[in-house]
Amino acid sequence: MIRTALLVARKDLLIEARSRVLLWQVLPFGLLSLLLCGLALGPAQAGKSSAAPGLFYLVMLFVTLLMINRSQGVEHAAGTRESVAVLGLDPAGVFLGKTLALTVELWLTGAVIVGGAVLTLHTAFAGTVAALPSIAVALGAMAAAGTMYGALTAGIDGPATLLPVLTLPAFAPLLVAGERSFSSALHGGALWEWWVIMLVALVGYLAIGVLLYGVLEDS
Amino acid sequence: MKLLQRALGPATLVTLLGTFIMGMWVTPKATMLDGGGDLVRMLYVHPAVAWVALYVSFGTTTVASALYLWRRTRSVVMDRIAYCAMEVSALFIFLTLVTGSIWGRPAWGVWWAWDARLTSTAILGVFVLGYLALRRANGDPEARARRSAVFGILIALDIPIIHFAVVWWKTLHQSATVLNSTGNVLVHGSMLWTLLLSFVAFTLLFVWLLRFRYRLEVMRETSQQSRRDVAVAARQREGA
Amino acid sequence: MVDDKSIDDLSPVTPPAVANRSRRRSIGVIVVLIAIVGVLLSQGLLHSLNYFETVDQALAHKASLGSSTIRLEGVVAPGTIKRTNQGAQFYITGSKHHRVFVNAVGTPPELFQANIPVVVVGHFANAAAMTFQSNQIMVKHSASYIAAHPSRVRAPNGTTR
Repeated sequence: MIRTALLVARKDLLIEARSRVLLWQVLPFGLLSLLLCGLALGPAQAGKSSAAPGLFYLVMLFVTLLMINRSQGVEHAAGTRESVAVLGLDPAGVFLGKTLALTVELWLTGAVIVGGAVLTLHTAFAGTVAALPSIAVALGAMAAAGTMYGALTAGIDGPATLLPVLTLPAFAPLLVAGERSFSSALHGGALWEWWVIMLVALVGYLAIGVLLYGVLEDS
Repeated sequence: MKLLQRALGPATLVTLLGTFIMGMWVTPKATMLDGGGDLVRMLYVHPAVAWVALYVSFGTTTVASALYLWRRTRSVVMDRIAYCAMEVSALFIFLTLVTGSIWGRPAWGVWWAWDARLTSTAILGVFVLGYLALRRANGDPEARARRSAVFGILIALDIPIIHFAVVWWKTLHQSATVLNSTGNVLVHGSMLWTLLLSFVAFTLLFVWLLRFRYRLEVMRETSQQSRRDVAVAARQREGA
Repeated sequence: MVDDKSIDDLSPVTPPAVANRSRRRSIGVIVVLIAIVGVLLSQGLLHSLNYFETVDQALAHKASLGSSTIRLEGVVAPGTIKRTNQGAQFYITGSKHHRVFVNAVGTPPELFQANIPVVVVGHFANAAAMTFQSNQIMVKHSASYIAAHPSRVRAPNGTTR
């Protein structure tokens, strides 16, 4: 299972490295969304770091939805699915591998977006650095949940519109926990408590994915 | 079996009517401290609707989805039951939230509160809409059935959270009146009997609605298949 | 390479132990999931999902609350309700008989009365202030329903109210 996971993760990351969709499409989208959030708040509010944690996670939510679609779209390019099925890979390993690849991509994007938040929304640098472990875990949990839900919608008409409907209720608790932990890191509060909750959510989604991904792959 | 099916409609109507009459005119109004006067009459609607939405209807979907995923019991009947029960569940979840709001405004003073029970119920409602959207997406019927079954089981994880929310956390929503952890039933006499009658009435209503929805689904699939057969036959005649 | 001898050999081949491994993994995963829920709840890590703080809890860490907006729960002390032009003033008590004076702005709900649990939304003026300024009162209704005419309804143990 672990070997399959590493194989699949390597495959996905190589595809990303060669196609550069993350670099030329997703990152600019993320940064633009952050700027638009600042514009929407207006000059009086935009510079206040109290809004930053929520806005960061909102932008990362949109980025995650794009990346999930991309991750599943790669599997459904012409003939890919059948070729992979013939290989007889362990579905749990495929799930873990895709989650790992998506996590790495979200971490890279998140690092750039959080830098943007420091610059444009004036979040305190020390507090932002203190929030990084919780951000890493939150994005990992979103990647695990997203890989599961992405498999649910893959291969049907209109997955891009259906995916948000299915995933947003599942992401809502992660967004709340992520925002609270980021705020706690910036302004003081029970930081460890929130990121333990997200760590538990990460393990939970990984467990569910290992259990059920095989059924979704068959469909 | 046919007798039971024929009796279902009248039994549903009789129990619903009985609940209405008992609730409106036979049961007394409550003290202002423990029931809010005439507000107590919502007790005979909201808990029963919530019971059907969360446990009966959603439970039917979850069990049917699990049976569909298990190879030994996989069949198109299980898939149909899961889908039809989820549609009925959507209706009852909507009614739960609406009746709860109507009761909450005079009792609590607010239409809505973001406490754990109400929020998790609202999240369940959104999940159900997602399930229905997933069912409407085009694709191979078997793949769609499998996806829906997996999603139906995934979102059932919200049910124990909703049920135990009033126990695990401090919420505005009150704890259970009948099935609470102390074992003391907190309502008595004609009020208790009417409450139990309302549970029976709305459960029968669910079964009645599910039966009709299931028949509709079978008719829809049959009509789709016969339309396809007619079109194929017409094309073949053209070719001959 | 296939030869005639191997074609004639039709004896069953032992399948790989994939199903057993898969079932063990499924059981292991379910155990992990149940353990997660148990850990979360037993360690009280989700206490931030509580809708309100009780009077006792709020007074215990009043210094850290400062003037931040919270929801405070307590029972309305009898004989302390005073209706004002803007709303009402009353005391709420906690389980250890701590009391907080509430100055509420806005019309109280219909069921607002003495001896009923309420949740008030607002803030203390500062860390030292003992008056709670509230802009909303919510009545926290109990799960019991007692008839207004006790002669009609009797509890199984014979008591009435």
